[in-house]
Amino acid sequence: MKINPLTIKKIQRFKSIKRGYYSFIIFGLMICVSLFAELLVNNRALIVHYGDRYFFPTYGDMIPGRTFGLDYDYETNYRELAKHFAQDGSGNWVLMPPVPYNAYENDLREDQFPPFPPSGQDRHYLGTDAVGRDVVARLVYGFRIAIFFSLGLLLVNYTIGVSIGSAMGYFGGRFDLFFQRIIEIWSNVPFLYVIIIISSIMVPNFFMLILIMAFFGWIGITWTMRTITYKERAREYVLAAKGLGASNIRIIFKHIIPNTIAIIVTFAPFAVSGGIVALTSLDYLGFGLPPPTPSWGELLQQGWTNLDAWWISGSVIAAMIITLVTVTFIGEAVREAFDPKLHTVYE
Amino acid sequence: MTFFCRMMRGLTIAAFLIATLHGATLIAAELPSDIDWLTNDTDPVYASPEAVKGGTFRDAILSFPATFRMVGPDSNNSFAGVLRSNQLGLIGIHPNTENIIPELATHWAFGQDRKTMYFKLNPAARWSDGQPVTARDFAYTIEFMRSEHIVAPFYNDYYTREIDQVIVYDDHTLAVVATKAKPDLHLTLAIGPTPRHFYGELDEDFVRKFNWKIEPNTGPYQITEFAKGKSIKLKRKRDWWAADLRYFKNRFNINTVIYTVVRDFNLQWEYFKKARIDTFPITFPDFWHVKTDIPIFQNGYVNKIWFFNDTQQSAMGLWLNQDREIFKDPNVRYAFAHAMSVEKVIEKVLRNDYFRLEHHYVGYGKYSNNAIKARRFDLQKVDEYMKKAGWIRGADGIWIKDGRRFSVEVTYGFEGHTPRLVVLKEEAKKAGIELRLQKLDSAASFKKFLEKKHDVAWMGWSTGLRPSFWQHYHSINAHKPQTNNITNTDDPELDKMIDAYRNSLDENERIQLSLKIQEKLQEIGSFVPTFMVPYIRQAFWRWWRLPHIPGTKTTENLFDPFGSSSGGLFWYDKDLHEETKKAMKNKVKFPAVTLIEETYKMKFLENTKFSDIL
Repeated sequence: MKINPLTIKKIQRFKSIKRGYYSFIIFGLMICVSLFAELLVNNRALIVHYGDRYFFPTYGDMIPGRTFGLDYDYETNYRELAKHFAQDGSGNWVLMPPVPYNAYENDLREDQFPPFPPSGQDRHYLGTDAVGRDVVARLVYGFRIAIFFSLGLLLVNYTIGVSIGSAMGYFGGRFDLFFQRIIEIWSNVPFLYVIIIISSIMVPNFFMLILIMAFFGWIGITWTMRTITYKERAREYVLAAKGLGASNIRIIFKHIIPNTIAIIVTFAPFAVSGGIVALTSLDYLGFGLPPPTPSWGELLQQGWTNLDAWWISGSVIAAMIITLVTVTFIGEAVREAFDPKLHTVYE
Repeated sequence: MTFFCRMMRGLTIAAFLIATLHGATLIAAELPSDIDWLTNDTDPVYASPEAVKGGTFRDAILSFPATFRMVGPDSNNSFAGVLRSNQLGLIGIHPNTENIIPELATHWAFGQDRKTMYFKLNPAARWSDGQPVTARDFAYTIEFMRSEHIVAPFYNDYYTREIDQVIVYDDHTLAVVATKAKPDLHLTLAIGPTPRHFYGELDEDFVRKFNWKIEPNTGPYQITEFAKGKSIKLKRKRDWWAADLRYFKNRFNINTVIYTVVRDFNLQWEYFKKARIDTFPITFPDFWHVKTDIPIFQNGYVNKIWFFNDTQQSAMGLWLNQDREIFKDPNVRYAFAHAMSVEKVIEKVLRNDYFRLEHHYVGYGKYSNNAIKARRFDLQKVDEYMKKAGWIRGADGIWIKDGRRFSVEVTYGFEGHTPRLVVLKEEAKKAGIELRLQKLDSAASFKKFLEKKHDVAWMGWSTGLRPSFWQHYHSINAHKPQTNNITNTDDPELDKMIDAYRNSLDENERIQLSLKIQEKLQEIGSFVPTFMVPYIRQAFWRWWRLPHIPGTKTTENLFDPFGSSSGGLFWYDKDLHEETKKAMKNKVKFPAVTLIEETYKMKFLENTKFSDIL
């Protein structure tokens, strides 16, 4: 595949901005790790050696305790199994992930009440929340949900917003006027309240919540796209395409949008962090994804009600800072790398 | 203006004349000769003879009431309880024996028709403005409550549908007639008086005109001052007519009660710690166990009390919608009940502070069938019932039949209940049942239940004095929206028993039926009972004193200054107050005090050990 030399230049420029580049690597790593979170943070063992067989329970069906000679039919408690094997000296063994808890199970104990503080011995590295769920597990799985939510939201918002914005700029006239008014009215609807009302009468799932938020989120990018398109459509290549008989749709999607991609890309990282914050605040208020979905907002809420359990609020605030800072650094670097002043030659 | 006033006065006089004439026709009625007058001066008293009068009691309210009216728009606010407590009825119910005791009436009698009660008023009874309470004030209650000017459709309807009329025989003798013969007649007919001399003829201006007027009352206290939005002060009536009645003696001891508006619960706690309010509810586990572990408690300046009462328990639990295909099979319902690890939630999340609710009707005295025990978490039994119903375990461990998984939605309305539900959910997974939690706004969730759109409803019902089976379990209320039969229970045999229960006028028969109905309900198994809190816990500064047995069976607040049935038992100890103030100044400590009062603890709870918890 041949890459546009201009693009190569932009990438090199991006790489040369160290802060942004490293943030990008860290962020990419975080996403990759979260994709394979089941191997790192899970109550299912990675490998169980029992008798002369090997089991890999992570991604398969549930394996009942009876399979390993225990006396119950529900899912094996692998932490207990590991202890059990270690004691009976049968040569069987269990390899657990580094954090041997999943995001849903309650680790409850005799005569003690959660939240439990961080403890390396119990492998609750950041402690547990108010019902005994591991904070690391909640953070990692919560991150995965938040980031994909945010990317999904970005995709939907930009698809709608960019299309409508470009159309407004390209057609101009009454079409533009009409949509301007629509957007003005639309943006005056208090979107947080609407979401709260909607989610208090029906509990939205992941995709529903993206749709609801996109319902109001597409507006932001339209103004920018409209202005850019106004500028672009007056340029020679658009006139040339028109002269060759290209359709309006072709001109917008094949010619104008690729030439405005720099603008879109510079806005994207900020939209991602916006999406994460939006989901977190909705969860915090209790109007986001239904419990017990792991969520940063819900952790933050717990941290607030259990202020003396500093590890809850501390962990989630630290996680939020790291994520939002890296995303913002990426955004800044992208903006700089795509800065037209470095690449465009004015005639 | 003057002209207008004069005209108004003219109208009032005209109205008075009409009323008197109207009353005169009623007076002509003849009192039946075979009346068997009853009274009660033998039940035990529960106030302390040690109690002394005096002191100022401060409490906080979250918001200032929107009106002092007791009927009409905005009147059903939380302060209305204070106003109502200071309005006595004809008769009361003894909180411990449940027998009738005198209030405004000294004697009462039941008519042969089983729908009339006769009352003899206490001639000493006075309104707070000095006017005597007469039989006509009760006749006026009916007129008042049926008036459209009070804008209170509930009362309009209730006083039309339930009460037929009040017959005045003379100033101190009257009869109240119900629209139909019914059991426990005294619970319906013990109406209160309404001061005719205060309201006069009602007009459409009523709601506005009486918004901030203070209605004369018959109880121990009356509002004397208020600052809108800030505080309300009530004073004890120095020469209260009922002060020496058997069941009121040594009660209502505080001279002045001041309610201050503090708009946040946590802020109220701060007020309490500074002794700016005198008592604080600490029933919540985090208050009882954690937040009270501070110097004022450790040094004994503030005491804690854990008081067990014995009242009707709210039916809190999981309500299975039997119109859902999955819950049509009783075996599946039983299995579901056995898959709910309520004990684990109590032990691990609720710090063993809550108790297992055994069935829907706990705390109804003889009407409760305490032989019934809730189905316990038992994987073996889940297995048996599910296999009997033809289900098998799927690959993910969840039961499966004809391609459908045992996965049901549990709808609830309080964020605070999430910790309980996530534990139930995880435990249910072991039993092969998947719970999908759905948290809605509380109004939205209740709407969903009433429309019968839920799989499983997580909620509690409020209580009445007697079990009411009809609204929750009669088939007439099943399969249609906006009724309380949210389990869609529809069983012809049960219907028959409920109808018999409703129509019976014989107490023994009703009790027998009640017990049998509860057995049948257990067999149907559409309700999985969860928790109950058969106690209250309060913190109070040590200069407040309580009787030897600090409350009654039905006490909901040991420091309620008014309630005619259980209120006003505590008193102020000036010496202790001085002593405490001095001690706090000189940093002298007293031993910490935690009282546990189990006199009225429900019998079947007795095996629970409390030493383990403290």
